[in-house]
Amino acid sequence: MIIYTNEGNPLGLQLLMLAKFAKRTAQVQLVNLNDAKYKDLLVLPTMELDNGLRLFSGAAIAKYFLGDESQQRDEWLEWSTTLLAPALAHHMAVGHRADPNALPVLNNLVKKLDDHLKNSSYLAGDKVTAADIAVWSLLAPDGTLKGAQNVDNLRSWYGKIKALSEVQQVLGEQSLKDLSFNALQQANRYGGLHHVPLKRSISTDAGKLLAETASTVADTITDEEISAARAAFIYNKPQEFAEPRTVLPKAGERNVLITSALPYVNNVPHLGNIIGCVLSADIFARYSRAAGYNTLLICGTDEYGTATENKALAENMTPREICDKYFELHNSIYRWFGIGFDYFGRTTTQEQTDIVQEAFKDVYNAGYILTESVEQLLCQKCDRFLADRFVEGTCPHPGCGYEDARGDQCDKCGKLVNATELVRPRCKVCNTAPVLRSSEQLFLDLPKAEPQLREWVDRVENGWTHNARVITRAWLREGLKPRCITRDLKWGIPVPHKNFEKKVFYVWFDAPFGYVSMTKRYTKDYEQWWRPDANTDVQLFQFMAKDNVPFHSVVWPSVLLAVNKGNTLVSHIMATEYLNYEDGKFSKSRGIGVFGNDAQETGIPADVWRFYLASARPEGQDSSFSWNDLAARNNSELLNNLGNFVNRALVFCEKNFSSTVPHVVLAQDEVVLLALINRELRGYINSMEKAKLRDGIRHLLAISRHGNGYMQTQQPWVLLKGNADQKTHAATIIGLCINIACLLANLLFPYMPSTARQLFAQLNAKQTPLKADKPLTTLLLPAGHKIGKPSPLFSKLEQQFINELKAKYGGVQDTQTATSQQSNVADLEAAVQAQADQVRQLKASTKDKTVWQPEVSKLLELKKQLEAAQKTATTATPAAAVAAAIPQKSTQSSSVQDLEKMVQAQGEKVRQLKSSTKDKAVWQPEVNVLLDLKKQLEAAKAEPPAPRAAATSTQAAPDAATQVKDLEDKITKQGEKVRTLKASGDATIWKPEVDILLNLKKELSSLTGAPVAGAQGKNKKKK
Amino acid sequence: MCDVVTVQKIANCLGIDPGKIELNDEQVVTRTGAANKTVAGFATILESLARESKSETAQNSIVSREVQAQVYQWIEFAVLYVAPGSKDKYVSKQLLADFNKMFLSKSYLVGHFITLADLAVYYAISELVKSLSPVDKENYLNLSRWFDHLQQRPEIHQGEPMLNFTTIYLHNWATGTHI
Repeated sequence: MIIYTNEGNPLGLQLLMLAKFAKRTAQVQLVNLNDAKYKDLLVLPTMELDNGLRLFSGAAIAKYFLGDESQQRDEWLEWSTTLLAPALAHHMAVGHRADPNALPVLNNLVKKLDDHLKNSSYLAGDKVTAADIAVWSLLAPDGTLKGAQNVDNLRSWYGKIKALSEVQQVLGEQSLKDLSFNALQQANRYGGLHHVPLKRSISTDAGKLLAETASTVADTITDEEISAARAAFIYNKPQEFAEPRTVLPKAGERNVLITSALPYVNNVPHLGNIIGCVLSADIFARYSRAAGYNTLLICGTDEYGTATENKALAENMTPREICDKYFELHNSIYRWFGIGFDYFGRTTTQEQTDIVQEAFKDVYNAGYILTESVEQLLCQKCDRFLADRFVEGTCPHPGCGYEDARGDQCDKCGKLVNATELVRPRCKVCNTAPVLRSSEQLFLDLPKAEPQLREWVDRVENGWTHNARVITRAWLREGLKPRCITRDLKWGIPVPHKNFEKKVFYVWFDAPFGYVSMTKRYTKDYEQWWRPDANTDVQLFQFMAKDNVPFHSVVWPSVLLAVNKGNTLVSHIMATEYLNYEDGKFSKSRGIGVFGNDAQETGIPADVWRFYLASARPEGQDSSFSWNDLAARNNSELLNNLGNFVNRALVFCEKNFSSTVPHVVLAQDEVVLLALINRELRGYINSMEKAKLRDGIRHLLAISRHGNGYMQTQQPWVLLKGNADQKTHAATIIGLCINIACLLANLLFPYMPSTARQLFAQLNAKQTPLKADKPLTTLLLPAGHKIGKPSPLFSKLEQQFINELKAKYGGVQDTQTATSQQSNVADLEAAVQAQADQVRQLKASTKDKTVWQPEVSKLLELKKQLEAAQKTATTATPAAAVAAAIPQKSTQSSSVQDLEKMVQAQGEKVRQLKSSTKDKAVWQPEVNVLLDLKKQLEAAKAEPPAPRAAATSTQAAPDAATQVKDLEDKITKQGEKVRTLKASGDATIWKPEVDILLNLKKELSSLTGAPVAGAQGKNKKKK
Repeated sequence: MCDVVTVQKIANCLGIDPGKIELNDEQVVTRTGAANKTVAGFATILESLARESKSETAQNSIVSREVQAQVYQWIEFAVLYVAPGSKDKYVSKQLLADFNKMFLSKSYLVGHFITLADLAVYYAISELVKSLSPVDKENYLNLSRWFDHLQQRPEIHQGEPMLNFTTIYLHNWATGTHI
């Protein structure tokens, strides 16, 4: 028999004992579940019987060996695996998994055992059974009963079992000290027993039985730690921070160059973007400056490319104007968040052009550029090659045939499309058909750079985050392919190469050089950072979200290695995972999430946002932004923990020691406190050096928690009323707490700069450099130092306020914009048209006056408003009306798409319901919803032509043509729908759809009959 | 699904009147059966039901000591890992992958016949399976096959809507009636 288990697993003890009682011999084999050899094992320990049968449940093994003993035994067996073991695992866990709620649950379980053993010598009757073995083996490791009180029955039972010769033999082979419930984490791939919910008893509360483990933390302090803490706590005159005008790296010192991924200029940043790059980089940079390193933080907006061109077209501006507009938006958002860039630049500068073009020439001369011809669509009218997003056409996938498929993807069937495969392609700008031309493009020869790159990655990847390593390895494993670095666009850096003058560089060869060009804008000596002397060491930290890793780990380093001019290469890639919004995705179009200056509008201070985002930073795995979590952290950690401690210390000092820091005399308690704080301080420094910002916060808060605990146990407010000795002790407590507050202000500064400044002002102190090489608490404020005026640093976030914010940013918030927009005549005309169409539709589909009457009233009201507006607005020219109508068209067509999706989804739901049940009462409401949606969809589809009809009469002819086309489209779609519905059989459902179809056909015939009288044709249909 | 409901469903499967099923003071599911005899604990109750039932599933579950031990361990697995783990993004993926691998080579969890082990895991994992997208269902094809096979039994699905495991998940867009 073999017992497979992992090191320290306490459940292995039970199997050993069972084997012993069943008089069988078992060999223990320690295994690691990550080992491919043991991938078939699900849960450890697993016992493999001689017949090959594998069992991983202690209770099942007990039953198999010992047969049926009694129902009571079975119940205890189950109790021990499903209640006792999880409670112990929760209670004994360390770090963030430790669960403070586990102790009361565990106390109840222990009490139940003790009560039961009062009247019974063993758990199931008067003989030892498998139940006793199971429970005993769980209580023995980790010394659960050590220090427990009022459990005499349990203790005597425990002793009886331990004295059994079988147990003694097992204990001879397996020492109890080596067992720990933490080993369960590695005992399966399901998170140990961590996910098993604790079952809290409803009525009973056992009170205190087991000793609390928390009090023993102080016992673990070693003598070395004590003496180090005592020796370090002296006053050193703090060094002044030297702040040179321009930071440059220096030989022999630590030089830290930090970049944050360049945000794309017309993406409005959301909280995920902010914590992913700029905020993380800023916190790290502030830490790095505080630690006395020469630190430069560079960021800026990435501005070239198709998306900007598109946006410029949509907003009727030049790309440059678009960039100016959005650059300001970015800049103001980051300024509000207190991001202290040394320079925040842009990629559309002359410096950028020079640097990129020079780099290109270098790479070309080094022989890393290939020329290949690529088939592309050329619009002869616009005289340019069309990027994928600038082409539309009919989807080439069989069975789809969607007419408005984009050059990269079809929105209807969702499949990827090659722009050159589109049937009847057309230019998005001018609507003419482009022709297929092959165009020469330049490629970066990554395969040629691969050997150097591999060698470099092997050398430096230890400094990267795990995900950056994994992503880079995946790219390298697949083998690198040449990458196209040019595009046929206008908005970009021209390629300085013969016959390529009309092309520009693609983002891969453009954006990363932004870091260099922005540094050049900052200082003319930028090369000291980016191409340092041999004896100056510059460490480059690059912060980004994980989607940006290949840029920074493969493409750009390959370029720099190819150039081979001694450029600074990234030593630390700090990639985050994604931040979700309340377990969903941030979505600008649906209004879900907190974007740009939304954070500012909430009225919650920027520092609280910074603190929360840093503590929810998606390191290691995706994390979620949650309003409740934000409020909870603000209230429990900032307000009740940190703020409370600091404020109490300061107010005590102000009231009882007339704002003068008293003399500190270190006794045992104080030195232990300092030693505990030094541990956290070391943790803080270690985390920050590796840019583990989340852990940094944890250590920081632990320090103030220690401070709070110290003040709570020492009770200086009592001592102050006592004798002379007690008063001196109270003075020590306050003096020490003020110093801890000052330490906290220093540690807090990277995360919450303005709060830290406030705290420094209240302490009347200055920031002191952190000593990363010697992280020990010193006396920062000596006796006699005068402090400033204390005031609370944080305020509470009320649940009601949070609920309001949650509702506001939870999506679907655009309803009020529709009404507020109708200020000018053109909009009103469009609205009247739309409303009129809706009324016509409604009247056509139903004779029920109660349905369409409210819509008619709305129409009348709108007409009245229009009349009034027309009287006042004399300047509303037709041109303005057209301009105003265009953006509206685009929003409406998107709402049509949304509606189509909803109809699709609802239809699916109805079909499923109908297939699963014949009960009409169940599916009828859903069918009604579906019909309603379809109606809305029809109404929405009818709207787009309306604004055009409202425009000048000179446009009537082309308009009628497009109208005809739209109608034809609609008729084919409607026809398709009717066919589908008829197939499903229910006349009540397809009848209205057929009516709509007939109406559409009528409309079409009237239009084609008399093209100019489009509006009249529609009116005829009115009954 | 809460333990009480699951026990009742499984009792229905086995064709037994479970008596009174409730949670006791410790939040543990208990059964008060004939003659006021009480049994506590999910797995222990299932064993007691199996002993009383004449159904095929119950008889399969106690056919030998080996089978009995394995059935018990899967019931325990369902309680400790499947039901709680289904709510966690990472654990649920691991569970799906593990079960999918297991069902590559067998049709039921224990032996070659349906046992209580299948029922316990079925009800513990059904919410998770329900949440899978058609693509995921295809990824975990073996698990899907096992689940679909079980849900066809009327005593198992008990009137709940059946999950759709058709692999032609684009049928929404098809206009014909061939499906």
